[in-house]
Amino acid sequence: MVKTFLRKYGFGYALLAPVVIYLVAFQFYPLFETIRISFYDYSLISGNKMTFAGLDNYERLFNSDRNFWTIMFNSVIWVFGSTILQFMLAVPAALILSQKLRARGLWRGLMMVPWVSPVIIVGLIWKWIYDGHNGLLNHYLTDINLISENIIWLGDEFWVWPALLLTSAWKGFPYITLMLMAGLTGISKDMTEAAHIDGANAWKRFLHITIPLLKPIIYVTGIITIIATWTKFEMIWALTNGGPGFTTSILPTYVYTNAFVYFDFGYGSAVATLSMLFVLIFALIYAKMFGKDNG
Amino acid sequence: MREPTIQRAIKYICLIILMIFTLFPFLWLINTTFKTNEAMFASIPTWWIEDITFEHYTWAFSGKGIELFGLLKNSIIVCFITALTTALVASVSGYGLARYVVPGMSFIVALLVLGQMIQGPLIMIPWYKFASAFSLLDSKTALVLIYNTMTIPVGVWIMSGFFKVIPKELEEAAYIDGASKLRTLFGVMLPMAIPGLVAISLYSFILGWNDYQYSLILTSTLDSKTVQVGIAELMGSLGSQNWGGLMASGVIAIIPIIVLFSLIQKFLIEGLTAGGIKG
Repeated sequence: MVKTFLRKYGFGYALLAPVVIYLVAFQFYPLFETIRISFYDYSLISGNKMTFAGLDNYERLFNSDRNFWTIMFNSVIWVFGSTILQFMLAVPAALILSQKLRARGLWRGLMMVPWVSPVIIVGLIWKWIYDGHNGLLNHYLTDINLISENIIWLGDEFWVWPALLLTSAWKGFPYITLMLMAGLTGISKDMTEAAHIDGANAWKRFLHITIPLLKPIIYVTGIITIIATWTKFEMIWALTNGGPGFTTSILPTYVYTNAFVYFDFGYGSAVATLSMLFVLIFALIYAKMFGKDNG
Repeated sequence: MREPTIQRAIKYICLIILMIFTLFPFLWLINTTFKTNEAMFASIPTWWIEDITFEHYTWAFSGKGIELFGLLKNSIIVCFITALTTALVASVSGYGLARYVVPGMSFIVALLVLGQMIQGPLIMIPWYKFASAFSLLDSKTALVLIYNTMTIPVGVWIMSGFFKVIPKELEEAAYIDGASKLRTLFGVMLPMAIPGLVAISLYSFILGWNDYQYSLILTSTLDSKTVQVGIAELMGSLGSQNWGGLMASGVIAIIPIIVLFSLIQKFLIEGLTAGGIKG
């Protein structure tokens, strides 16, 4: 029994073993460890031993942390704001780059550059563009008379958000564009041409043929983007460190702040666990809302 | 059917707008690094450079701000080993995923998909704890191990896509000739999938090179600190005092990525879109 099973599947399991072992040892086990630590009082600063604390960390988070609701609210804005903005840039970009163009490969490659660039360097560039005194953005906005006074983009409680979202969308949109372009090549020319002959204008063709056919890809890419936006705190950290104050802190940056600035591992783990719960809930709501006809 | 001229003009104007939007920040970065400090902080910023200077690049390499050479060396070593290990696991397990249907396959696929979500802040704290328990804090080993958690799931995924398109007849012919399963993988299949393997390796290198969060928590000295953390620290400590030197360091740290990406662009785009559509 065992012998025939092994003969039949042994080699397959042997091939898959490295990746499974790696994932379980270095990702899934740490994940459970995060959840476990979240039930402990474990602060490196206090010097006390790790002691079981039940739900204390969570109670503190919900009841006595003044920043908590700001951070929750910010997290939602960050994930949905960034994802929606990325799509708003990616759809026109994909439509342009799917046209018949000279040297199209080159343009497609150049479009990808923000996406492959290191987030720290991207942060550096945009910090300089947003600079309150010598920044390019203030200069151009003054030139076209949109603003009369320089704005300290990353230091202003209101303006920091549009600035952050723009940079994050600029860095993330090429991936979505890439996926949409792959989808667009699959849409048959016949269909759009038939509609053209039937007198549908470009906008109608886009709305009634292109978008519905792209829906499965939009769905999958959307979920990937939401998760990617969620699991990285680097962009915010590079641009604002979560500030001014806690204005741009989200759950993932708050994990870092608590665990590696205040060295409170127990509390940090509770925030991380909550963060994980939220990404699951986001993904589920998203799947419920948009996944009906995409399986 | 020839396109009307107006339509063509609109098309190219849209393309130009898109390219400006995508690339002007990089152009501004490069532009700034060749300006003198006076020009950089002039009341009206301009793209025109009166006198070109290389002082910022000399400063970047001088070691006055950060030990750029040491940091670059660390990044290169860590990313190189990450690329190798990922290529190894991805070729073996990617082949398994593409060709061997075993009981529990959907579970393994679920692990792979979830593995791409379990990143960063979700696993940071235990990783720090383990690294310190095994005396791996501030070591290149810890970085290689954690970088592989980013690169292996996606690497296996993309690699299986490359294996799937190789015709099955090739394997069957090898078996008939008496080749063992392992020989078939390394002697017949892998050579066919070399483009995929190169793409995965270089992509892993890029992912490692761009990492900031893991290196931030796991490294502290020149023994293992990467160039990204170095630049971030410089940004924090200098603030806006030496934008020129900071930006020149940024240009130096971004060049390897642009070069690697231009090499693998075609394969990578193929691999990513195929993987994404399959979901």
